[in-house]
Amino acid sequence: MNFYNSAVNQISETKDFLVNSSSLKDIRTFSRNVFDKINLPQEQKDELVLAIAEAAQNIVKHGYKGVEETSDRMEIKISLKDDELEIGFFDKGKAVVPENIKHRKLDDIKPGGLGTFFIKEIMDAAVFKKDQKGWINHLVLTKKI
Amino acid sequence: MTYKVTEEGNISTVFLNGEIDMDVTDKAKEVILPLVESGKEVHLNLKDVSYMDSSGISVLIESHQKALEKNTKVVVKEVSKSVLKVIMMAKLEQILNLE
Repeated sequence: MNFYNSAVNQISETKDFLVNSSSLKDIRTFSRNVFDKINLPQEQKDELVLAIAEAAQNIVKHGYKGVEETSDRMEIKISLKDDELEIGFFDKGKAVVPENIKHRKLDDIKPGGLGTFFIKEIMDAAVFKKDQKGWINHLVLTKKI
Repeated sequence: MTYKVTEEGNISTVFLNGEIDMDVTDKAKEVILPLVESGKEVHLNLKDVSYMDSSGISVLIESHQKALEKNTKVVVKEVSKSVLKVIMMAKLEQILNLE
């Protein structure tokens, strides 16, 4: 059976998750399930899952820094139209100042600061949009696949 | 994530299993760092680690740096293809002791 025959070039799937590190596994499962419907090499699917997980981790780690526990949820929307993949992240954490987002220099070897670097390596663009639609932050990752 | 630790002479081998993300890094550090701090050579066997994100990479860096402080070493062994890709993306293949 050729699974690629059933691959689609148009997808729009959304799911929300509790803002907690324990949700990261569910976020990866959701992402993998969506990418299973797309005709892509496994290696690229793995990279996209990593980028999504890193962006979600940033929400938990930085957007809710100092917050022990929250009932807030974040929403992730994966859309594909032809070869344009767009992944949206909505959250109600601290407002992000995009200019303040920096990854550490790679030659400065220390724990932390790699998540944003991975996202930039994997995706074509990462942009915070102003159309938050009732959320505080709306990050959009895009990639031509 | 699950783990198993075996001892042979001055070498402790930690077999990690599953996916290593932010949710389990504290648990991973609780297992690895005390072994490193005791001055033992620590081998991290990653053959059954199917996924690792930047948090997992941070555990590898922290363990490596702690080992240097203690004049010992951490050897990362049998890295799966998917995890090796992440290590290489972080350009750490020349920094960590990979076997």
